[in-house]
Amino acid sequence: MTDALSLEQLRAWVDGFAASVKEHREELTELDAAIGDADHGSNMDRGLRAVGEALETKPPADPAALFTTVGMTLVSKVGGASGPLFGTFFMRLGQALKGVDPVDVAALATALEAGTEGVVARGKAEAGDKTMYDALAPVVAALREAGGSSPGEALAAAAAAARAGAEATVPLQARKGRASYLGERSIGHQDPGATSVALLLEAAAAAAGGGAPAT
Amino acid sequence: MSVAIVVVSHSEPLARAAVALAGEMLQGGEVRVEVAAGLDDGSGGFEVGTDAMRIKEAVEACAAADGVLVLVDLGSAVMSAEMALDFLDDPTLRDRVTISPAPLVEGLVVATVAAAGGATLAEVAAEALDATAAKAAHLADPPEMHADPPAMQADPPAVSGRFTVRNPHGLHARPAARLVQEVRCLGADVELVNLTTGAGPEPGSSMIRVAVLGAAQGHEVEVRARTQEAVDAVLALAERGFDESIESFEPFETPPRPSGAPQEPGAAGAPREPEASGAPRADAPRGASPGVVVGPVRRLVSAPLEVDDAAGSVEDEAGRLDAALADARGEIEATHRALRHTAEAEIFEAHLALLDDDTLRGRARALVAAGRSAPRAWADAVAEVHDEWAALDDPYLRERAADVDAVGQQVLRALTGAAPPAMPAPGVLLADDLTPADTSALDLALVQGVVLAGGSATSHAAILARARDVPLVVGAGDLVRAAPDGVTVALDGGTGEVHVDPSDAVLEDFERRAAAEREQRRTALDATQAPAVTTDGATVVVGANLGSVADAELARASGADKAGLVRTEFLFLGRDDAPDEDEQAATYAAVAAALDRRVTLRTLDVGGDKPLPYVAAPAEDNPFLGVRGVRLSLRHPDLLRTQLAAMVRAAAGAEVEVMVPMVTDPAEMDAVRALLPEGASLRLGMMVEVPSAALKLPAFVGHVDFVSIGTNDLTQYAVAAERGNPGVAELGDPLDPGVLQLVERVVASGLPTGVCGEAAADPAGVPLLLGLGVRELSVAPPAVPRVKALVRTLDTAACAELAREAMRLPDAATVRRLVEGA
Repeated sequence: MTDALSLEQLRAWVDGFAASVKEHREELTELDAAIGDADHGSNMDRGLRAVGEALETKPPADPAALFTTVGMTLVSKVGGASGPLFGTFFMRLGQALKGVDPVDVAALATALEAGTEGVVARGKAEAGDKTMYDALAPVVAALREAGGSSPGEALAAAAAAARAGAEATVPLQARKGRASYLGERSIGHQDPGATSVALLLEAAAAAAGGGAPAT
Repeated sequence: MSVAIVVVSHSEPLARAAVALAGEMLQGGEVRVEVAAGLDDGSGGFEVGTDAMRIKEAVEACAAADGVLVLVDLGSAVMSAEMALDFLDDPTLRDRVTISPAPLVEGLVVATVAAAGGATLAEVAAEALDATAAKAAHLADPPEMHADPPAMQADPPAVSGRFTVRNPHGLHARPAARLVQEVRCLGADVELVNLTTGAGPEPGSSMIRVAVLGAAQGHEVEVRARTQEAVDAVLALAERGFDESIESFEPFETPPRPSGAPQEPGAAGAPREPEASGAPRADAPRGASPGVVVGPVRRLVSAPLEVDDAAGSVEDEAGRLDAALADARGEIEATHRALRHTAEAEIFEAHLALLDDDTLRGRARALVAAGRSAPRAWADAVAEVHDEWAALDDPYLRERAADVDAVGQQVLRALTGAAPPAMPAPGVLLADDLTPADTSALDLALVQGVVLAGGSATSHAAILARARDVPLVVGAGDLVRAAPDGVTVALDGGTGEVHVDPSDAVLEDFERRAAAEREQRRTALDATQAPAVTTDGATVVVGANLGSVADAELARASGADKAGLVRTEFLFLGRDDAPDEDEQAATYAAVAAALDRRVTLRTLDVGGDKPLPYVAAPAEDNPFLGVRGVRLSLRHPDLLRTQLAAMVRAAAGAEVEVMVPMVTDPAEMDAVRALLPEGASLRLGMMVEVPSAALKLPAFVGHVDFVSIGTNDLTQYAVAAERGNPGVAELGDPLDPGVLQLVERVVASGLPTGVCGEAAADPAGVPLLLGLGVRELSVAPPAVPRVKALVRTLDTAACAELAREAMRLPDAATVRRLVEGA
């Protein structure tokens, strides 16, 4: 096992994320039904299917191209807020990874940090707003704490942090997005966007060979 | 190119509909509006969602515009729009794009209008952001009682302009009303400052606040608004003298105007002095009901109103106040309609604006909320505004406090249910106008004659005046307001002459005319009980049109052969609930008994111009083309069923038939017939007033037993000239050859045909109608002897020749000349 992720592994991450979302599609939709408009699962699934097709049609030459394609496709195919948010996230990853191949943990941490910043800039969310940011926020720190570990181990730690962050959204009251219209009634439900982030990091860990696939 | 707009929505249909809605607001201007809505579902359709790439393309499509305002709906629309700006091929375009947090629909409407008016991107964005202001103001709590000027928006108006008040009496009630109307139409925040006195700023949307500026002629006023469009509109209005009649402008030479300014052409004219009598007018007085009379000037006087302090719950009192305001509004609107196109109409426009004024209403509502009775709250609010106006420096504005009082009294009367104003003593009644309700409430024993400022010879008031043989002159204008109470007035309702305080020679002349008239009437009356037979032996039934039991007695004395039209409205007008079946049956029977001849009862004929409080009728821009007559009756089948049942009962003891007004299709007659009590057999006829019905009358054979042509309405619909509108009064002549052809078509259907309009009593109309084959006329009771006498001089063959020739002529005037020469 190398210390860096190859284009194939990164592609496997994206494919794994798509498969995981497909598998959890109903669960995500149910989470969204509780506090949103019940389309997160189907939107993400459709978007990621389109991503798969786009990557088949025009295989990316490097990690930067891979994530840029993912981001652009999500922007056009995911109608809800997830489109611009996940789209921005992946496009920032793409920008940050320009000329980086393979991608080691440090570079990945930098890229994920850029992606997270993009999400914050786009969604104007803060920690505790009950958004995908609550799952993303601890990821970079976890990766960096993992220090010299292998990408698999580091990403496994990051995935655990994301999962914990997603679960921590349950008692929160939504302050952003459509769920915020529900006010106190949003309390008691896990945020679907944060849940998708957990799936994303779990897929990354699996692709890097560092942990069990998504739960 | 102006500012363009991009509409971003999750829903394509929503965006398209919003764009269509906004497009309705555009008058001539053009604005580029791009839609980026929905999400491509991969098969050519749209799903709900937003797509940053589509938004990018939409923004880029507007690249040629001076700026692009992006309006977005929910959540992701905002993010997708922001993202789209990141994607722009030309990053400098971004500087000309603003994403607006304005509400999508309201913002789009306002932004479209502002952009069409050439506003800048910043202005369009500001307008859009403020788009809910009108809604917010509408739904806001009433303003505080001691109305300081309503708080202005935090961000100051961006644009300003100045005008000098040209109107001789300043920005008083009527110009102020016009200004407020304009500002409200603009939907813009407009503030006004009187630069000459320093008064203001005051909001341009409140007439009371505008009046408080005390802007007199020559004063310089600053207009402040958010958009140049709003400022320009107000300045243009000021330039037009706030649409005040040209004749009310004095020659413009007053010094306060900055020197060197050009003199406005067209602003000169005779000064308008309310005290002066007979100021030159475009339209002279016209006779509307014949008869010569000399008598003292009288006006309708109201009994002093008692203000009751006993208050119910706040909700009850607020409801009372709203109902009274609505009643008063209906009354003023009716008067305004009648006076339309005359200078007097402006007075009632001002009254309407006062009635709608947020300051006045707000004060009254606040007082009601504080626990006062509705009458007390209204009276106090009116008194406050009155005092405020009366304290102004400008003498003319001080006088306009009278407008406040007039409106105040009207609402108070509606609140207290006080009796309508009445004649204090016998004499000649001078009034602005009379509503049908006013006219029917008149004590005819006291009314020797009537002179109206407005009105037309074909208005309801005129028809009723003729029915009651009351001499009437309409269109007398200022004279009506100027003549002092009690002074002698001589009038001729045939020629339209009116003399206030006449000379001895004029008096003598009028006395002589009156005597001759009496003599003529006596001769005709002597012969009137006999049937009217033409020289060639054709019998013509001459009936009477009735509006009360008293009319029936008069008709019998006048020798009417039947009642060709009984207007049952008299039973329904001026009351709070509909008469029940017993009351109606008794009244119809009384009419039939008083006449002791065949009676044709017409079912209720009301519409938006004669609203009844217990019949819900939609407010209509054009009540004469709206839900009236049978159209209204069929929407209130219970009312019609009750009336038909009462008519059937009256028919049990007398010769009674029923006719239905304003029928367009045979199906309407079938629907009426279906409401007759089971087993009832009654001759059921229709009025022919709708030109289309006249032309397709054969289609009604089998659906109706007889027809009666209402020439007044048939004429107004055929020549497209409203009856109450003096501006088109000359067109509305039933002797128009086109109308005569419609009558010919009706007679040709073979259905028994009568004529019950004004033409039947018109000396020129009678020979033509006989010539067209009509053998039944119905006229105002006093006209029966005269019409019978006329019929006896006519030969039907000669009449037929005359009618044939008349139908080939170009207009009513030549028809009249033809008949006069015959």
